[in-house]
Amino acid sequence: MSYAVAVDIGGTFTDLVAYDHATHRVIYSKSPTTYSNLSEGILDCFAKARVTPDEVTFLSHGTTLVINAFIQRNGARAALLTSAGFRDLLEIARGNRPDPFDLQYQRDEPLIPRELRFEVPERLDANGEVVTPLDINALEHLSEKLKELQVESVAVFFMNSFLNSAHEEAATAGLKRLMPGVYITHSTELTRERYEYERCSTVAANAYVGPQVNRYVRQLEGDLKGQGFEGALFMMGSNGGLLSVDRTCRQPIGLVESGPIGGCIGASAYAEYLGFKNVVAFDMGGTTAKCALIDNGQFSVESTYYANGYVRGFPIKSPVINIVEVGSGGGSIAWLDRQKRLHIGPRSAGSMPGPVSYGRGGTEPTVTDAHLVLGRLNANRFLGGEMKLDVESAKCAILKSIADPLGYQGADGIVKMADGILSIATVVMAGAIRQVSIEHGLDPRDFVLITYGGCGPLHASALAHELSIPMVVIPPAPGNFSAIGMLLADARLDESKTFIGTLDEMTARSVTQVYEEMETAARSALEKEFGAKEVLFEHHVEMRYRGQRHNIKVPIGKNSDHLAIRQAFERDYKRRYGHVDNKAVAEFQAIHLSAFARQRRPDLAYLPQTIGTPVAPYVRPVYFGNRGKVVETQCFDRYSLPPGFAGEGPAILEEYGSTTVVPPGDRYEIGAMHEIRIHC
Amino acid sequence: MNAVQPDRVEVDPVTLEVVRHGLISITNQIDANITRTAFSPYIYEYKDFAVGIVGADGQLIAQCTGGIPVFVADSVGQAVRDGLAIHGAEKLHYGDVLLCNHAGVQGQHLNNTVMYTPIYAGENRSKLIGFFAINVHWIDIGGAAVGSISFSSTDIFMEGLQLRSVKLWSKGERVDDMYSVIENNTRFPHELMGDIAAQLAGCFLGRDLTAALADKYGSATFMSAVEKILDQCEAATREKIRAIPDGTYKAEAFLDNDGLSDVRVPIKLAVIVSGDEVTVDFSDMSEQVDGCINSGYFGGGRTTARVAFKYLIATDEPANDGTFRPLKVILPEGKLLSASSTAAMGLYSIPFPTVIDTFIKALEKALPESVTGGHFGTFSSIRFWGKRPGSGAPFNGNDSGHGGWGACATHDGAGPFRTMAHGDTRMIPIELQESIYPYRIEEFSLREDSGGAGRFRGGLGFRKRYRILSPCKLWANFDRVQCPPWGVFGGSPGKPGKVTIVKNVTGKTDVLYKTDDYPLDNGDIVIVESGGGGGYGPPDERPPELLKRDLLRGYITREAAEADYGSRMLA
Repeated sequence: MSYAVAVDIGGTFTDLVAYDHATHRVIYSKSPTTYSNLSEGILDCFAKARVTPDEVTFLSHGTTLVINAFIQRNGARAALLTSAGFRDLLEIARGNRPDPFDLQYQRDEPLIPRELRFEVPERLDANGEVVTPLDINALEHLSEKLKELQVESVAVFFMNSFLNSAHEEAATAGLKRLMPGVYITHSTELTRERYEYERCSTVAANAYVGPQVNRYVRQLEGDLKGQGFEGALFMMGSNGGLLSVDRTCRQPIGLVESGPIGGCIGASAYAEYLGFKNVVAFDMGGTTAKCALIDNGQFSVESTYYANGYVRGFPIKSPVINIVEVGSGGGSIAWLDRQKRLHIGPRSAGSMPGPVSYGRGGTEPTVTDAHLVLGRLNANRFLGGEMKLDVESAKCAILKSIADPLGYQGADGIVKMADGILSIATVVMAGAIRQVSIEHGLDPRDFVLITYGGCGPLHASALAHELSIPMVVIPPAPGNFSAIGMLLADARLDESKTFIGTLDEMTARSVTQVYEEMETAARSALEKEFGAKEVLFEHHVEMRYRGQRHNIKVPIGKNSDHLAIRQAFERDYKRRYGHVDNKAVAEFQAIHLSAFARQRRPDLAYLPQTIGTPVAPYVRPVYFGNRGKVVETQCFDRYSLPPGFAGEGPAILEEYGSTTVVPPGDRYEIGAMHEIRIHC
Repeated sequence: MNAVQPDRVEVDPVTLEVVRHGLISITNQIDANITRTAFSPYIYEYKDFAVGIVGADGQLIAQCTGGIPVFVADSVGQAVRDGLAIHGAEKLHYGDVLLCNHAGVQGQHLNNTVMYTPIYAGENRSKLIGFFAINVHWIDIGGAAVGSISFSSTDIFMEGLQLRSVKLWSKGERVDDMYSVIENNTRFPHELMGDIAAQLAGCFLGRDLTAALADKYGSATFMSAVEKILDQCEAATREKIRAIPDGTYKAEAFLDNDGLSDVRVPIKLAVIVSGDEVTVDFSDMSEQVDGCINSGYFGGGRTTARVAFKYLIATDEPANDGTFRPLKVILPEGKLLSASSTAAMGLYSIPFPTVIDTFIKALEKALPESVTGGHFGTFSSIRFWGKRPGSGAPFNGNDSGHGGWGACATHDGAGPFRTMAHGDTRMIPIELQESIYPYRIEEFSLREDSGGAGRFRGGLGFRKRYRILSPCKLWANFDRVQCPPWGVFGGSPGKPGKVTIVKNVTGKTDVLYKTDDYPLDNGDIVIVESGGGGGYGPPDERPPELLKRDLLRGYITREAAEADYGSRMLA
């Protein structure tokens, strides 16, 4: 046996998916997350899946440990060391109030309080030249104080260090020597980009989670080895790639969005397999909907992430797949405000009590209840019939909370309002997709919508119509798609550098030279960490017209000359903003390198796995908003339909954990990979 | 403005929501585009612009949710109404683009230029359904000073070119003459023409998206939905007002001076709450002044009343004419906030934070859970300007001021943030400033003891120390020194801000608050200290653990703690 395994630790459950390379068998298992010792839950999942760690050659692991530490504030007692005069940078932030009309607005407290922030004489100027040398004596003195204060970690940040990291490195080396056993990290090992607050916040965050992540990862590695595991353990990075254990321990903030990115990776692998270059990946579960963009085969990876959100949270300079999330999932509650304006979410009934129709005590109607009332969900076949849904209680809740107060009477009124709930949910979710596409100047009509998550396929067609997206693709087992995605990740390393210069022949040559150096370093890192034989690279430069402030990220070749770079810049600029200025001077702001090493992937063609016995096709009445009436609709067991099968809506395709709705007017077919394709 | 459409039709609640989301999404999308494509820092850094949709009758329908609060009150509607009055709707064609920055219309500094284009929907674009409008702070529009703003201007004509509802485009064609007038009346044609291109692209795209939304449902349904949205906002706001006890609530404050003379500028107002209406009475406000801190009726009095009203009462409702219907303003002509169209207005918004603060203070007893102590309340910005060493090219480096905000019923004041006239405006990174301007910043820290004492303490200001590396001039703009940020319910006032200069050669120290052109030499030190916020509740009710924390963190010194809270509490 030789298994590839992915483990995802979520807030409630730990999920495992195992793929047997020899038989192509896929196994899923699930176990409650064990907060006291997380590896217990993982080992329990192994036992349930009947896979033993010694059969595993590859294990990728996603965890919400880092983001939870930031939100629950249970990280390390960390100290911050800055250039003289700047210990308050972390607390002052940038002076903005993202919620302008909240008189009582407060930002989240800084991760490191003022009594643990210290200064040391040191200063570099704006060219990276030394103005004040690093005071080693002061550093020694300080280390004594830090020991007394019993700090578990220290973050080192100096002004202008992105130009010259020598002082930060010397201080780090000094502290490691003076304070053995304490986790020491400095800003320039995490980012070489300018802007002091963002870099300072990044290294503070790294120090805050460093000790905890190190303990966890080392213990997990030990526990697995104790059970005979001899394979390779990797962590799921927020950039959509695998991270080695050593790198994770040095840069734990690389895990900040380790959880929700599996689906994005899956969507990207799927898109590549099916030959789609431009994809909107859309994931809708119980409480939220998330979307991300794959443009020309690549995720959009943002280099600044706001932990706990932009409004109150703090920035981390670490590559994170650009995922936009909105609070509308199957459990989102429909409600009226005092002016009788109809809202969906962001409050959710979650899994407890859940939608009204679950019969677990929920009283406020949810999106799932609306689907049920309209006949889009089968009350008797939810989760393969494991759970019966109560249509009558869903109807009552919609009548009482929505239809009645708005003056809509009887069965007809309930149906109208249920359909309205779905329409509004669609508009809200379409807004999220617009945010990742149109607001970046990309036209959704050029994209394919890949939809997954338990609730995604119920909404896919409506969303596609709202955004004029011509085709929807629903992969097999959409409910488990995120877990599968984690098995498909490459090893990946993202490096960024501030690089300022006017676009001309000379500068273009130095870009090439900088790339040479960055590639050499990245290649040797991937060889060392993953035993990679072949390393692939992608190059992006951040550019703008001189005088502008916002940059656009332009893909270029390593050896592109200035003319080719100008052309690439103008092509992208025009695509985004509709116009270009041929005369204006263009300039570089930053250089990004992504390095990849492919891992042995499961064969996607084997992924569909039928659960339960297929049900024969049948007909049931379903209400469709675009027809304004109930239509007798053909319902199929999804896996009973062979590749090549084609049909016209209305149709309902059911499977364990998900339901696909094809409204009247749409055509659909089953693709070679058992994917459902809906032409909208 | 309560114009009811004669062809109003019934709109179902779902369509209503879809239109509501659609309108907000359009303005926010254009907001994002402009921020990304703009050339001047006023736009990308200060968000000194606003995107709005205005009805065919000039009512504000929707505005982007970002942008600075001063614009949220409706910075575009008045310009459109002027254009309608001058040209008549029948002469505003598809493809026309109009400009207005006139002091007699908007009543703000001439940099604020509204550009708008009519939106036609229906078959053959036959029905005028409104206007897509964008207000942008133009970087320079001529006049006596760089950037068109200086303390020394005494009338509007010293502040640049006025454009009153003129066409920049006509029926889809550029009006080249107008472009030429603008290009030849600015010191920064490259930046300004770049910004105008961004503004124009935003108007056209916004127009098309709005027309598409209207056409999806038909213009009768669309316009009825819009009316309904405004009505609902009005009803929600009236409900909020009904919860406030009726009464006439007065408060007063003052500015140190008008920038020209040493005479105080009184800020007095009354807020009359009666049933479901609020009236702001500015009758006792200062007269118009000689300095350039005047504003007109719409851009001054009505704007500050709306912003203050939204801060304290209509917080959650979107900015549109429906939300503001229950708000009335009494404001005779010729006051600071209703100045004549020829008055100097370069720094028109300087009184705004204090006016808003005073409105909040007036309602101290009526809304104890909502009000806060005064905030530092003054722009506290400084600017280093001069010629670059070597090239001799001019530079103009603006560093924004932030200060402490007032404490409230539940927690200490926050900050340092920018004033209530600002919102999501980020300070310029020091590493960026040092790379382009001839100074180095040696300290940037919280200013201990600057927050007013109280059960909850006012927020702290900051201290920033600049070392000058080549000769240049300093511009500074500090106020609220003699009328520092007050406390509420017995809280103490915060400390006012100041600028201290230590001359390198003589070692002499100067303290100043307002200057246009203080000369600086190599090695001089400029120390900027911004004000703190006012406290909430009596200091002797401060929870001991918070006092202890403040001492541990050095938010207050032991000496100040003894003076403010007494040694008994420190024991």
